[in-house]
Amino acid sequence: MPEGTLCNKKPIQTKEELDALLADKSGKVYYEEMKSLDVDMDKLKSAFKNTLKSRTRTWLDMCAHCGLCADSCFLYNVNKRDPKQVPSYKIQTTLGELVRRAEKNKPVDNELMRYCMDTAWSKCTCCNRCGSYCPYGIDMGVMFSYLRGLLYAQGFVPWELKIGSGMHRIFRAQMDVTTEDWVETCEWMAEESEDEWPGLEIPVDKEGADVMYTCNAREPKHYPEDLAEAAILFHLTGENWTVPSTGWEQTSLSMFAGDWEACRMQVETVYDAIERLQPKRVIGTECGHAHRATVVEGPYWAGRKDGNPPAPYIHYVEWVHEVLTTGRLKLDPAKRIKVLTTYQDSCNYIRNHGMADKVREIMDYLVEPGYFIEMTPNREHNYCCGGGGGFNGVGKYRPQRNVALKCKRDQILATGAKLVISPCHNCWDAIRDLEEEYKIGIKWSFLKPLLIEMAIVPDHLKPAEE
Amino acid sequence: MYELLTGPLLWASVLICLGGLIFRVIQYIRGLSWQLDRVAYTAYPTHGFKGAARSILFWLIPFGNHGWRAKPGFTILFFCFHVGLVAVPLFLEGHVVLLREGLGIGWWPSMSMAVADFLTLLMLTAAGLIAIRRIALPEVRIITTAYDFLLLIITTAPFITGYFAAHQAANYEFWLLAHIAAGEIMLVAIPFTKLYHVVGFFLSRAQLGMDFGIKRGGKKKNFAW
Repeated sequence: MPEGTLCNKKPIQTKEELDALLADKSGKVYYEEMKSLDVDMDKLKSAFKNTLKSRTRTWLDMCAHCGLCADSCFLYNVNKRDPKQVPSYKIQTTLGELVRRAEKNKPVDNELMRYCMDTAWSKCTCCNRCGSYCPYGIDMGVMFSYLRGLLYAQGFVPWELKIGSGMHRIFRAQMDVTTEDWVETCEWMAEESEDEWPGLEIPVDKEGADVMYTCNAREPKHYPEDLAEAAILFHLTGENWTVPSTGWEQTSLSMFAGDWEACRMQVETVYDAIERLQPKRVIGTECGHAHRATVVEGPYWAGRKDGNPPAPYIHYVEWVHEVLTTGRLKLDPAKRIKVLTTYQDSCNYIRNHGMADKVREIMDYLVEPGYFIEMTPNREHNYCCGGGGGFNGVGKYRPQRNVALKCKRDQILATGAKLVISPCHNCWDAIRDLEEEYKIGIKWSFLKPLLIEMAIVPDHLKPAEE
Repeated sequence: MYELLTGPLLWASVLICLGGLIFRVIQYIRGLSWQLDRVAYTAYPTHGFKGAARSILFWLIPFGNHGWRAKPGFTILFFCFHVGLVAVPLFLEGHVVLLREGLGIGWWPSMSMAVADFLTLLMLTAAGLIAIRRIALPEVRIITTAYDFLLLIITTAPFITGYFAAHQAANYEFWLLAHIAAGEIMLVAIPFTKLYHVVGFFLSRAQLGMDFGIKRGGKKKNFAW
């Protein structure tokens, strides 16, 4: 059976296909079918011909096998320094092997493809840390992302991520949240907050606003209070803001899946909203990969030569930094956090988008002096939370993911902190899961609830006395 | 034999080396793609240049970045090996004489024999330890191939033979011819093997530096290499 009914090379095109995949609990049939999925060698060869250019080829060919990347990889360290977790080994035995076989006209078998899949999604979170420890600057995170694209095109992709990219294709969101669901959630959250915050609105599709806000579909779907919190903070700071009715989803599971076409479709939906509503700028939620997908990589998927989205597009921590330092949001110093607190640097906007300093300044506002402690290593050199790059979401690799969490667990334990501030959905989830798995007695939080808790509310925004 | 090795073969190997490296550089740059690499290489020349320069510079300085600092032992081996490998052939008195007499270049600086000996022995010791490291450390052993040892042989051969030529008067002629042949083999090997990192190091580091400088946050904050 070359092509399965569920596991095949075709992207999800209809809701029926998506539902059929969802009905296959844990991807049982899907993974069974994968075992007999054929490899399309012509497709693989033509992909190499068209996309394997000098940067990646040099990375593969020039690697001096020095092994300096080994210790840079948290998965190598956390797996008892297993040599099979050395980044160079991982990429050479997967992408490197595929390239060699394609060039020598040797067949690529199903087993190798499944080994590539296991490696690309359970032995690399695309955190890009190895890239800064290689003397040649060989970034294996970038190469694994490239490999994921090749594997996706051949149908060798974890079940959840085939679904995830299918969701983006059907709903333009990583979950089945329709425009109606989204707009209703906005209305519902505005109503819910009205009593406590008179005059609070969540304006949908307002043209020419100062700010357009985008978020992660899990917020409207699973914790809509996050949306309410964003609204409260915009309300408190007097921001002239809006959300688009379509194009509000900033994340991209298709990026984790390597489904580049879906990546483009998703990000163009957001850019269309920007063009339609013409906000002065866009602010994204506290999510690392959403920022990477829509702000850092997205412009390239959409073919934008300057590498920028259609309007200035900032991460939530940049906005928080701005409103705190300009005094538009005032925090009550008496309410500053007085338990030992640490902060989780997200790979996607700290290592890969330069915000390390701004976050530290935010911490100065939030945490009582003497109560903030850094993890080691930190900033650009921090380790992945353990669940990045889609690792959190793939059931097949849950045991490996749980081992991966030990790195962050030990980093947090070494600080002695009881609270971890984590303005990234993925890190937040990983830290929640590590507490569930290893019970080290910590709490974790996004920025929004902490800011609301500490904010000084101007009298005119307070509810009228009964 | 001597005339052949120091005449046409020397010229041929130098030209193959330089020509091959120029070809490598052109081929690399031509193969960069803003859309495939997802880096707007030409859109931000200042950020690109700064990113590239920083990325190269911090890796040329011993202990200049987190990577070197994380592995102090290897860093020392690496620099001992490379300093000897680059400096001795370029500035050895005996080589400079050839430049002066053959090409009329009189301004080229030279190093004393004692310095050259010291750097050569340091380089050869480092090479030996690098070879042992390849076998001793499991994380290096798993990625090591015979090719890696071949490259160590190609790069150390001119130094071993050169050292004997300079210090063993008895077989002087043999060692000298062996040295010239080994040097020419290395020159020819450079563009065709991983030794093309002579230019590839700078290209690849510049590329990642531009990636960080332009796309991955360089407009907000310099990457802390």
